[in-house]
Parts: sequence; structure tokens; C-alpha cells
Amino acid sequence: MMRVVEIDKNICTGCQECTKVCPAYAIEGNPGEPQTINVEKCVMCGQCVQKCKSYVSIVTHGYDAYNKVKKERGIPDCVNEPLFAAHNVTHIGEVKKALADPTKVVMASAAPAVRTGLAEEFGYKLGTLSNGKMAAAFRALGFDFIYDVNFAADLTIMEEGSELIQRVTTGKGKLPMFTSCCPAWVTFMERNYPDLTDHLSSCKSPQQMQGAVQKTFGADVNKLKKKDIFNVSVMPCTCKEYECSREEMNASGERDIDVVITTRELAWLIKDAGIDFKKLPEEDFDSPLGGFTGAAEIFGVTGGVMEAALRTGYELITKKSIPAVEIPSVRGGEGFRSADIQVGDLTLRVGVVSGLKHVVQVLEDLKAGKMNDYHIIEVMTCPVGCVSGGGQPKLLMDTDRETAYKNRTGATYKMDEALPLRKSHDNPEIKKIYKEFLTAPLGEKSHHLLHTHYKKGRAKTIND
Amino acid sequence: MADKMSCYVLADPNKCTGCKACELACFAEHNKKTNDVGYTVGTVTVQVTPKLYLTRTETYCMPIQCKHCEDAPCLNACKKHAIYRDENGQVIVDEEKCIGCKDCVMACPFGAISILPLSRKGAPLLQKDREVVKAASKCDLCKGIEGGPTCVRVCPNEALRLVDMNEEQLNKSIKTAQSLYDSRLS
Amino acid sequence: MRQFVKGNPDLCIGCRTCMIGCVVEHEGRRIFEIDPDGYDFNPKLHMVKTAKISVPVQCKHCENPACLAACPVKCIKVINDAVVIDQKTCIGCKSCMQACPFGVIDMISQVGTSQADGSRRVVANKCDLCVGTGNGPACVRVCPTEALTLVSEDVMKESIQRRRTETAKAAKDIADALAAEV
Repeated sequence: MMRVVEIDKNICTGCQECTKVCPAYAIEGNPGEPQTINVEKCVMCGQCVQKCKSYVSIVTHGYDAYNKVKKERGIPDCVNEPLFAAHNVTHIGEVKKALADPTKVVMASAAPAVRTGLAEEFGYKLGTLSNGKMAAAFRALGFDFIYDVNFAADLTIMEEGSELIQRVTTGKGKLPMFTSCCPAWVTFMERNYPDLTDHLSSCKSPQQMQGAVQKTFGADVNKLKKKDIFNVSVMPCTCKEYECSREEMNASGERDIDVVITTRELAWLIKDAGIDFKKLPEEDFDSPLGGFTGAAEIFGVTGGVMEAALRTGYELITKKSIPAVEIPSVRGGEGFRSADIQVGDLTLRVGVVSGLKHVVQVLEDLKAGKMNDYHIIEVMTCPVGCVSGGGQPKLLMDTDRETAYKNRTGATYKMDEALPLRKSHDNPEIKKIYKEFLTAPLGEKSHHLLHTHYKKGRAKTIND
Repeated sequence: MADKMSCYVLADPNKCTGCKACELACFAEHNKKTNDVGYTVGTVTVQVTPKLYLTRTETYCMPIQCKHCEDAPCLNACKKHAIYRDENGQVIVDEEKCIGCKDCVMACPFGAISILPLSRKGAPLLQKDREVVKAASKCDLCKGIEGGPTCVRVCPNEALRLVDMNEEQLNKSIKTAQSLYDSRLS
Repeated sequence: MRQFVKGNPDLCIGCRTCMIGCVVEHEGRRIFEIDPDGYDFNPKLHMVKTAKISVPVQCKHCENPACLAACPVKCIKVINDAVVIDQKTCIGCKSCMQACPFGVIDMISQVGTSQADGSRRVVANKCDLCVGTGNGPACVRVCPTEALTLVSEDVMKESIQRRRTETAKAAKDIADALAAEV
């Protein structure tokens, strides 16, 4: 089976602090002995990676042990940060190889949450936004096209908003509809509640939509051969590498996303290339697959997908602009919250789950027929959404966690407020891709490239 | 009566899970100014050098750290006078003066001192002959760091506490007096 | 951590065999068969006798040697993890003696050497853990009461670990006793 998140037996002290945060009860072992991850249960969310404090010590393990572990994990020489028992498998080697390959056209795209945490790795305060610097970093690293997963987040809203309206108005498709952009959540559903997967939106995640359009529409507009394109996605998430490796993620005819690296790995790449992050200027993303609205940026926080969907869904249904673009009733923290949103004559009952363990009760209630009045439920595995993802910068002290989450969330909403366009359907690049390529949401091309089917049990990957 | 006794941090082996959050936080707090350590792992460019040391036995574990002895064997062993008692009675190692002779390491009956490499500005500090500077490293009760002992704050199981023996002794003696009173024959 | 030789005052009888052993080892010749004026008797460790104590005193091979930092001609170096004075380049300035808090360095005159004014060279001298000989510290080998031991890094680490474990056990006993009282 593909290796994603692992616990190094030689470093693990058996403290079981990771066990306490694992939402899938996937960590097994006796106290005081090295723990193991049960890959049948693990959803690869990486919360254990964020929690683990058992580091390779030069005192107890020795310098040689540190260097050995560093080399084994493929960490650049210039990086001397502490290494921990729980870790995710890194893929920067593949990125560097592609960047050095003159025959490859390497396209970069990053998730909304990445830019809320990246600067922290370079000494900035928690939650310092680095949108422009991130784009500049990609350029300095030698990527050929600097696109953005935020573009595909806007695209997801078009597709998913239309899908919701279809389910609500025509009765085709199950309600409540669950969001499907979180691959750890999708994995959890497929394995533990396979009979309920019809409730999942058929939309792919923004990452996978971005990959598919980059190798089709992106190839066309840039006059490239899709086999020459190498898509690198940067995510706050440790599960996204698994997601991009799922067998079916090749709608473009090639692997839609070739490799995923985390926010932390992007910082390593920047350091390895000798780039001074602090001195990077603010730069823009490339068109026509790098422009985005505030609705896209808020995907990175819990309630964000919901709010973005409502901003567009309101207009699709009522043909009028939503009176208040901000919807505080869907914002919040860890747990399950509900809200009733008036959309013309329709009252949409929406739910937001943040923190995977809170979804179990929702699913049990669904099975028991108690959730039938809900229309759409957003589910995020990580405590406050992707800003608290397994691939985000790792805190040295858990006492900073609340501040980190609060600041990264605050930065997200501030960025949304500052953007000129805050609704996905207003994005001119979105209008362009539909006009020139996709025709309409839920159309044949969308169906082929941007929608997917779910498996019963664990989905196979190309690396199994 | 002696002068006011020094405080110290004590761990409870019945609560400690051996996670090393205390070691990591100790290092992080002590290196924010000297080695540009920030909030995240990615800001660390030197080896982690804590001032308290997780010790494991077959069935339990706890971090061992300086007890700030009133007659500190380490202070008395140090010929360079690199170990001193500050205004709060706390026993502090002056890393600039330490020559790494190991006398304090051997003198401490608790093993609370380790000789660890020193770093400055994110890189190892070097001697004239390019060997790394090493110094005696032991708990300094987070002297000069806001918020008091970091290890106590970050322990996920509240296994560490700051002991003020002046207060504890007073409370215990009051309880004893009370029980003498309560148990006297009427 | 660097290893060093340590004397035990409880076992030392003050016989000075260690000093002789040191000289024999470094001289490389059978000193009792040669003219006493033909070699240097410059042991690198010294017997210290007070009213109550007798024990040899020698270099602790510090991690940040004060002598090394003080030497203006950089003739004190770390060789095979021992702190060693290169007597050929020493200028006898005594800075190392001033810096060393333990009094384990002394100045010795070398037979067969000469300065511009005809006098012998006088240079710094201290324990070098017998790095040049390949046989390990001679003083440890020759001591009749086993009063001298080579404290290796392993020995130090074991000692530290033992003390920590005992401290943890003591803390556990107290914690358990307090918990039982509640």
C-alpha cells in the first residue's frame, strides 16, 4: 500500500499523544512502546504529524542517527530542523527532478490555506499572509506557469452550486449533499459508510479539478502537449498526495496532478534553492488558470466552502445578488453547527462539520433518518479546516495552537475582504473557461473532467 | 531559619507520558532570541538542546531537571565560578564562562546537567580551533523569559509543576498543626 | 564528551608511581639505565599532598579548554579527542597556566634544547592521555592501588543515566506515597 503518513519505530516514545488527536482511531500500540498506524483505518489527515513531539535527539540518538533519518526522508541538506517520529513521506525529489528536466513544462498551483502559513516557516508571525511572495517563490524556483488551486475552487463552486440546485429542485440525487473536497473525509466515508457515498457531491476537489483543466484547457491555450505538462500541487494537507494518486484521477488523459507537496515541503524547496523568502517581491499568478475571488480563498477555513457556495447559489436560484456577501452563521470552529439560510422562497438548511470525529454523529443521525431536512453539509477533517491541516507549518509548542488557528483563519477572511471580487461566478477566468471550453456547469466536459465516482472501501492508487 | 528557598520544577511520573513536549518547548523558548527560533519547526536551524531530560524506566518516565539546591554541588564544584546563585536564589550557569570541564556534571547527584553544543544566530558556535563550543546545560527556570517555566505551560498532561517549597512547607506544617489540634484528647 | 583520568583520594597512597609511569611512557627509554642528567623527569600529572589528602591531579580535557582559548600561538590542539600541547611551538608564556582553573599545567625545561642565550627551552606541560603512545594512559596501568581510572564518555553517560533513573524512582516513590494518602 502507498506510504503517506508513518511513525518511525526508532524514534517513537509511545507517549500516545498522537492517538489522542487521531480522528480515525488508527494508531495502535501499548503505552511506552512504539506505535503503529493501521493503514486500513488511517485517513492520512496528518494531525498526528502535527502533534508528535518525539524528536531525534543528538543526546539520546546521536548526530549520526539524525543525519541518517534526514537522508532517508529525502530532506535537503541545508535544512536542520528537528525530525519527529510521526511524519509524512516527502516528494520534493520528484519536484526538483521535474524542474530540472528541460522537456517538462512544470505548472505550480497552491491551495488557499498554504499562503496563510508559509511565511511562518521563515520566522514571520503566526498567520502572516504571503499570497504575492508565494507566487514569487514559485517563479524563483523555476516553475513555468504559476497557476492557483483557488481558480479551481471558484470552478468547484460553479459545479457544486449547480449540482446542489439540481438535487434540491429536481429530486435527482441524494440530500443532504456532502462536500467532497476533503480527501481524508472522502476516504473515511468510502471505508466506513460506503452505502452513504451517494450523498457526496460528485465534484472533484479543487486540486483535482485544477490538474484536469491544466492539462486540457491549459495545454490548449498555451499550445502545449499534455504529456509534456507536469503538475505540482502545494497543499496544507498530507492526504492530497494520496488523492492525486487515486487510479481514477486521470481524466485529462494523463495523471491530472503529478505530485503533491505540503506547505512545509515548499519551504524546504525555497531554502534548498537558496531563495531569501523575506526579500521576495509581491507577484501575481498567471492567467487564465490563476485568477480567483474571495470565495475561493475562504475554502481554507471551516464554513468557507459553504459560504462560497451560498454566495453563488443564492444568485443562481434567485437571479439576484446576495444582500450580504459575508455569512457569519456558517463560520465557526471545531464541531458541528447548523444554520438556516433564506434563499428567495427556499430555506436552505446547511450544516458544517469541522473535525472528522464530529461527523460520526451526523452520519449516524443520517442513517437514522434524522438529517432529511438538511440540504448541504460541509465536512472538513482538520480541526478548523485546511488552515489547520496536517501539512501546514508545525508548531513547536501546542500553547500556540489556538493563536495559530485564529490568525490563519483571520488572515483568510481579511484576504477575502480585500479582494475586489468575492463571488466565484464573478471570476472572469471562470467565465472564460466556460465560454471557451466547458460550455456549462454539469455539462458533458465538466462531467468528464471535473466530476468523479466514489469507491466502496479503500480506493486503489497507482502506487499500491 | 534559612533565607527564602529557591523554587524549582518537579515532574509527576504518574502523569508523564514521555512525549518530550517539554524538551522541545524548553529549547524553543531559550532560542527565540539567540537563534531566531520562531513559532514553527521550520524556523529551527540548529540541533535541539533542552535543559531538562526525559528519563525512562521500564514502567514510567519523567523529565529530570535541576532542583536549584540550597547548597548546590554544581556551584561548589565549578572552579571557573561559572555557576552562580541569582537574586531569586536560583542556580544559573553562565554559558559564556563555562569551559566544559564536566565537574558539575559529575557533581550533580540527580544527573540534571548535560554538556550540550552552543549555537548563536542559527549556527553552531565555534572555538578557536573550530571545535563546537559546549557548555553545561541545566534548567534555569526560564530566567529572562516571560511567562515563567515554559515546560510547565506546555505539558499536555499537566505533569510538571513549579514547586515553591516555602509555601508548601508552610501549608503542610499548618495542616500538621491542625491535625494535632483535631486529634488531641479533650 | 572528552575522556579524562581521575584520581581517587580514598585509594591513593601517595607513592608517586603514576608520575614515574608517565615519564617512562613519554620518554620511551628505560630511565633507570640512563644517566639521570640525560633525560627529563617531567611528569604530566602531579601528586598533591595536604595534611589530609593525597591524590594526583591532572588535566580534565575540557570541552572548551580555557588553555586552548588563551594560547597566543595556537599550540594547544585537540588530537584524537584529547587536549594536547605541542611543546615544539610553545613559547612558555604561561597564559595557559593562568587560564587553567585546576592548576594542572606546569612549565618544564627540556634537556637537549637551547635558546639564543644558551639556556634550555622551558615549555608548558600537562596530561595528554598518552595519545602519542598508543597504549592508553600509563598512570592508570601502573597505579598499585587502582586509584586512577580513565573516565570514558560511556562511563560518564552511564553514570548520568543511573543518577537520573534513581532520581525518577525517588520521585515515583514519593508520588505514589502521596497518591495513596489521598
